[in-house]
Amino acid sequence: MPDGRCDIILRYNTYGSGSPIPVITGPATQPYTVGYDAGDSWLGMRLRPGKGVTLWQQRITSAANTVLRGEDALELLPWLAELKGRYSTLNILAAALEAKTTGHFTDHRLSLALDILHTSGGRIRIEKLATYVGCTSRHLNRIFRSNTGLSAKTYAQLLQFHRTLKLIQHEHLSIADAAFEGGYADHAHLSRAFQCFGGFTPSSVPRDLSLPTLFS
Amino acid sequence: MKLGYTIIYVADVPNTVAFYESAFGLKCKFVHESNLYAEMETGDTVLAFAGNDAAEMNGLAILPNHPESPAAGWEICFVTDDVSAAFKLSIAKGCTPVSKPSEKPWGQTVSYVRDLNGCIVEISSPVASASLG
Repeated sequence: MPDGRCDIILRYNTYGSGSPIPVITGPATQPYTVGYDAGDSWLGMRLRPGKGVTLWQQRITSAANTVLRGEDALELLPWLAELKGRYSTLNILAAALEAKTTGHFTDHRLSLALDILHTSGGRIRIEKLATYVGCTSRHLNRIFRSNTGLSAKTYAQLLQFHRTLKLIQHEHLSIADAAFEGGYADHAHLSRAFQCFGGFTPSSVPRDLSLPTLFS
Repeated sequence: MKLGYTIIYVADVPNTVAFYESAFGLKCKFVHESNLYAEMETGDTVLAFAGNDAAEMNGLAILPNHPESPAAGWEICFVTDDVSAAFKLSIAKGCTPVSKPSEKPWGQTVSYVRDLNGCIVEISSPVASASLG
């Protein structure tokens, strides 16, 4: 399920040889399938939404739905190669990432906007959100794109989708009730969002779906 | 000082009073002739409704509650021994469901609905005194 966040992942194969393969993902807005082989395992970190820029730097604005593997990932983050396979635990990877991103400052308007968006289930209008954080919606969008890789509206739509999906899956609300509480204008609006972000209709949500926990 | 009133600003006071009577079984204490203020029988701490116009008259600036907007950041909580029945009644009388009754790890049954104005109303069982330590 897409949640608009960037990941840094190391992929191992128990039966394979050599170093783990680094994978860096941009913020996803579409569902995708990850293939795997027997013996595959992963460890990795999902970054907070405003921190995607620390991985992608200037390339964050075109990182949506992009995945870099192996050499491509090393090209983006050459310091991964310096670890020379020592990045075998999350702690080591986390410490290395922290050391490389120290000094990154998240614009307080972005932090505030993310908090308000999460609290409102993505239902607040971007124009209103901009007035709450004290800038124009155009500027707020620029801050969003340059830090998360997504527009404020797309990020809000992802939150709205996840909350509504949870209302159906965890709270067992009817589709009509979930659409209303989730802030969708009608069933067609809800269906479009579910198809776009989930790849399924509201009435055919996969039973074994595990939903990510979204915190700002 | 003690908490005396919880006053919710609403679009239509008499309509809200009637709704709370039918959906939550409260009794009305009185409605002011202006139809801009009413109190419910809720004991020492009064639940009251005031018209959105009254907010402006009092010099307040508020974001009006609306069922199609995200709820404001507060809630009313009604406590009952039969959460399931109270939840069902509230839905039958026009509340919209947010969270069906579920038992929390501390032994309390909790559910959430939104009222006719979009305000969050929690319907839950009493917290067992033992769990308060």
